[in-house]
Amino acid sequence: MTSLLSLRGVLRAYRGDAAPFALEVPAFDLAEGEVLALAGPSGSGKSTLLMMLALAAPPDAAERFDFAGQDIARHWKMGRGDALADLRARRIGVVPQTGGLLPFLTVEANIGLTQRIAGRTDADRVRLLAEELGIAAQLRKRPAELSVGQRQRAAIARALAHRPALVLADEPTASVHPELADAVLALLKRECAAAGAALLVATHDPARAERLGYPVLACRTHAPGADGIARSVFERLPEIAEAA
Amino acid sequence: MILRLALADLRHERVLFLCSALGCAAVLAPLIVLFGLRQGVVAGLRAELLEDPRAREIVSVVNRTLEPEVLARIAADPRVAFMVPRTRALSATIVLENPSRPGGGLRVELLPTGQGDPLLPGLSVIDMDELVVSATALQRLGLNVGDPVLASVARSQGGVREVLTLPMRVGGVAPLTAATRDAAFATLPVLVLTEDFLDGSAATDARPDASLPPRPFAGFRLHAARLDDVPALDRELRLSGIEVASRAEAVAGLLRLDRNLALLFLAIAGAGGAGYLVSLGVGLWAQVERKRRDLALLSLLGLRRRGLLMMPLLQAAAVALAGAMLAFAIAASVATVLNRAFAGTVTGDRPVCLLTAQMGVAAAGVTLAGALVAAMLAGMRAAAVPPAEGLAEG
Repeated sequence: MTSLLSLRGVLRAYRGDAAPFALEVPAFDLAEGEVLALAGPSGSGKSTLLMMLALAAPPDAAERFDFAGQDIARHWKMGRGDALADLRARRIGVVPQTGGLLPFLTVEANIGLTQRIAGRTDADRVRLLAEELGIAAQLRKRPAELSVGQRQRAAIARALAHRPALVLADEPTASVHPELADAVLALLKRECAAAGAALLVATHDPARAERLGYPVLACRTHAPGADGIARSVFERLPEIAEAA
Repeated sequence: MILRLALADLRHERVLFLCSALGCAAVLAPLIVLFGLRQGVVAGLRAELLEDPRAREIVSVVNRTLEPEVLARIAADPRVAFMVPRTRALSATIVLENPSRPGGGLRVELLPTGQGDPLLPGLSVIDMDELVVSATALQRLGLNVGDPVLASVARSQGGVREVLTLPMRVGGVAPLTAATRDAAFATLPVLVLTEDFLDGSAATDARPDASLPPRPFAGFRLHAARLDDVPALDRELRLSGIEVASRAEAVAGLLRLDRNLALLFLAIAGAGGAGYLVSLGVGLWAQVERKRRDLALLSLLGLRRRGLLMMPLLQAAAVALAGAMLAFAIAASVATVLNRAFAGTVTGDRPVCLLTAQMGVAAAGVTLAGALVAAMLAGMRAAAVPPAEGLAEG
C-alpha cells in the first residue's frame, strides 16, 4: 500500500492537563485507506497529534512530515498557509468531538460546506451520505434542532462529502451515549471504507475501538524527568504498519 | 461562498443584525437630516439669488474714463460671463415716441446691452435698430413688440435746438427684474451715437455705426460667471480704483453661511461618525471573538485566510448598507415633516430640507467605506484564528 502519512522524528511541546508535555512521534506511517485508532489517557496528546496530522498545527521539529506526497514540514517552515489550507480543503476530513457544525447553516449546507470549500460541489453525494447515515429527513434543519447523535452523523457526512484521502476524528464518541458510541465508530469505519479514505480516530476507549475492528495504537507516557516535562510517545514502525 | 456564509450568519442572528443596522441608522439619520437642511437652506437662498439676474451683476457707479485695454482686460477675465461698456449717465436718456401718436414722447433711461445679456434672457440677439423696452414704457406708449418706435435726443448748439431722431423697432419687452423704471435697452453703437450727438461730434442725420473704433467709456456693467465670483470681482475692481455696486455682501453672506454650515456638519458628522465607527469596529471585534470557534472550524476545513478576513468585512458592509438605507428612510420622513412645517417660510416654496438620491448613494458609500475600515482589524483578527482551535473546541 502507498503511504499517505509518513512522520519521522516529529516533536511538539504542549501544555497538558497538569504539567508541560512533549509529544514525540519517532516514526508514524499510515497507508491510503488504512484505519487506526489512537489511544491514550486524557491529556496524553492524542488531540495534539491529530491537530498536526490535520495540518492545523505545526510541529516544533520534524525530520520528515509527508502527507499525500507533499513535504508538510517544509510548507510550515516556509509559511505556506494557503498551500496547507488547500490540502486541508481537498484531502482531509475532520470530525470534531461534538460535531462542530456551523449553527447558522442547515444540515445540508453544513455537509456540503467541505465540498464548496474544496470546489467540488455534488448535491447528490450530500443526499446519498445523508441517506446512508440516516439523517436524510434532517437536511433542512439547523444543527440546534438535532440530537447529539444526529449531529455526529452530520459531521461524519461533512468529513466525507468532498471525498478526502484522510478522515480524522477526535474523540467522536466522547459526548454520546455508550450505545450510540458503537454506532458512531462503526459508521465512521464503514463510510470511510466505502469512500476509500484512511481513518484515524483518537479515543480514550481503546477496548470499544478494538471490539469494532479498529487496530489500536496506544501511546507510551513517561513521567516528568529532570526537566519537569512529561513525555507522550506515539510510535508506529513501518513493519507494524505493514502488519496492520 | 464567503458572501453566502456571511449572509447566512447574519440571517441566523437577525436580531443582532437589526440592532447593528439600527445603531448605524441612529447615528446616520440625524446627519443626513442635518446635511439635507444645509443643502435645502443654502440651495434655497442660492436659488433666490440666482433667479435674480442682478445678483451676479456688478456695475461701475462713478463716471470715469476707462481705456479700451482696461475694459478688454475685465471682459477677458474667465470669471466674467458678460460685460458691456456704458456711456456717461447724463447722456444715457432718450425720448421714445409712438409714430402713430405724435407728440406723446416718453423720456426713458437708455441702457446698453449685447449678446448674452443675463438681464434679457431669451432676447440676447438684438439689432442696432431694435430697442428692448420696459413693460411700463411700452404700456404708456401704447406699443407692442415689433412696432416701430422713434427714439430721439435733443441738444442745443449755438442757441439752436437740434434733434437726432432714430427710427427703430420694439425688439422685445424687458423683464421686470431688468428694469423697474421706464427704460430701453439698445446696442452699444446707439448709446455711443447718443453720447457723441450730445457732445456735438455727431450730426443730426448720423446713424449708429456697427464698426466702432476702440474708445474709452465712462463705465461698464458686467455679470459674473458664478455667484461665488461676485465678492472677489467686486473687491478686485474696488482695489483697482473702480467704484462699483453689486450684491457682493449678500453673496458673501450666503457663502459664509454655506461654509459655516459645512463646518458645523463636518464637526457633528466627524464626532458622530467616528464614535459610530469605533463602536462598529469594537462590535465586530467582539463578534469575531464570539465566532472564534466557527471561524477556526472554517479554517480547519480549508478556508483560506483571505476568506476568513472577508467574513467580518462583508458583514460590516451588510450592516452599513442596511443602516444607510434605514437612515435614509428615516431622514426622508423627517424631511417631509420639516418641509411641511417650514413651507413658505425659510426658503420660499423650496424644501427647507433637501434630500436627493445622490445624497443617499453618497451616505451609503461613506458609511460603507467607514464600516470596512472599522471591520479591517476584526477581519485581520479573524484571519489569524488558528485552525487547530476548530478541532480542539469543536
